[in-house]
Amino acid sequence: MTSTGKPRRRRNFRDEHADWIRVACYVLSVVLALGFWQATGNDFSVFFASFSETLSELWQLTVHGPIPRALATSGGVFGTGLGISIVGGIGLGLALARSKWLAAAFEGYVYLLYSIPTIMLVPFIFILMGFGFWPQVLIVVLIAMFPVYLGVLEGARSIPQELLDVAAIYRSTERQLWADVILPYVVPFAMTGVRQAIALALVGTLVAEFFLNTTGVAAILLEGMTSVNASEVLAVTLLVAIIAVVLVALGQLVERWLVRWK
Amino acid sequence: MEVNAGRASSGHRRPRPGALRPAARSVVFATTGLCILALWEILGRTVLPSFMARPLGILRAIPAVLTASPSLGLTMQTTFWRDLGTTLGAIVEGMVVGTAAGALLGLVMGRVREVQWFFSVYIRGLYSLPLIALVPLVTLWLGYSPAARLAVIALSAFLPVAVTTADGAAATPQEHLDVGRVFGAKPYQVWFGIALPSALPYLMAGVQLGLARAITNAVAVEVLASVSGLGLSAFGFAQSFHQNAAFVYVLALALFAIGTRALVIAARRRFAAWDRS
Repeated sequence: MTSTGKPRRRRNFRDEHADWIRVACYVLSVVLALGFWQATGNDFSVFFASFSETLSELWQLTVHGPIPRALATSGGVFGTGLGISIVGGIGLGLALARSKWLAAAFEGYVYLLYSIPTIMLVPFIFILMGFGFWPQVLIVVLIAMFPVYLGVLEGARSIPQELLDVAAIYRSTERQLWADVILPYVVPFAMTGVRQAIALALVGTLVAEFFLNTTGVAAILLEGMTSVNASEVLAVTLLVAIIAVVLVALGQLVERWLVRWK
Repeated sequence: MEVNAGRASSGHRRPRPGALRPAARSVVFATTGLCILALWEILGRTVLPSFMARPLGILRAIPAVLTASPSLGLTMQTTFWRDLGTTLGAIVEGMVVGTAAGALLGLVMGRVREVQWFFSVYIRGLYSLPLIALVPLVTLWLGYSPAARLAVIALSAFLPVAVTTADGAAATPQEHLDVGRVFGAKPYQVWFGIALPSALPYLMAGVQLGLARAITNAVAVEVLASVSGLGLSAFGFAQSFHQNAAFVYVLALALFAIGTRALVIAARRRFAAWDRS
């Protein structure tokens, strides 16, 4: 690929069998990593658990343990926070894109709030609102709302003037203008933000659960950390990783579908 | 503000109808700011608990924090400046290490697709994972130590940089590679002279992503693993009813976040402009 004439035969081989090589690479990488995990796990004792130990721990925690309840708790915070982030982000973005006064007044301050690492605000939210579900949701919203807001803002500001002119010529009412021109134009931009918001809402849920009040998945992770239970920590981390990959992939699918529709 | 200005000049051929003049905009902006601060101060004096941070209190706390005044009544052994040094030092060090490693792996992944296939499961899987979930595991392995913080920061930079650099290196224009071949470039010249420069804007986008994550994750490790630094001290002050002092720490970290992001964005513009020419 990068070298000059000489290895022509090898390059042909790589191209002809690309699909097979690809599958082989995937299989090899998974087998090697799991084999390494399994092999080292037996030596390290307390601080590490082999792949099979981790899996059986995950099974135990799921069937007899706290994982189902924890997932429900964390899922509630995640879902509520993400929902509010999407609705709020779209509302805020549209408001600031369509009103020059609101934009002049608040855009800079929204950016300032965005710049403060939300994790540092957790103690203040605690003092103000205490423990509980809604303060946790607020943390998720503070972390996850900005990409939706930024996407909508950018989308609404890039509506071609011609479209607005045409709507004006046909004497669209304000309501028609929004329903037929602005919202359809903004949807793909919003979706890019929503995709990022899904990943950020996961971060927000963990931040809220680690640092505000310890609930849900984070509670199991912390318990495993303080009691030096490697298999428990590994099992839950693996679970979180799988959930994250699935959610992010879902977000990408939905985005692609919506953009194709456009 | 900045986004707005850029868009007005590039995106629209006509100025937006009825856009505010800059002077009017600054007045509205400043008035809103004063109103927010005044409302906060009034609420702080009347409704909110008395130990809650409020603007004048924060202003008054700044000298006390900067000089580590005993009036803060703390038994902590660190000072603001030491916290600042350790946390920001760790972020910079971790970012450099993570970016270098990520750029190298990303370059190889982008140019050799077998390597891309081999690593993609893990790199992209970990990239989706909120790294804050790894903090307990890393703490378990590296102890309640600054090493855990450094590792998490480096990982925060490594993953986005590896992913974006791989995308950038894979998108190297074929003409550039052909020119390289025509002039008989050595493989290392192709990699570091052609592929890497053309991936630089992507790489910087990864750095920008990684930086935001690194700051949050650094604070997360400090608080969860009791590693001394800005985050731990801020949480300590806030929990011992010194909310004003705690807010000074928040402002310091926010300033660092804004400053470094501005630097990265400036670097991105430079590289991107140079790439286009």
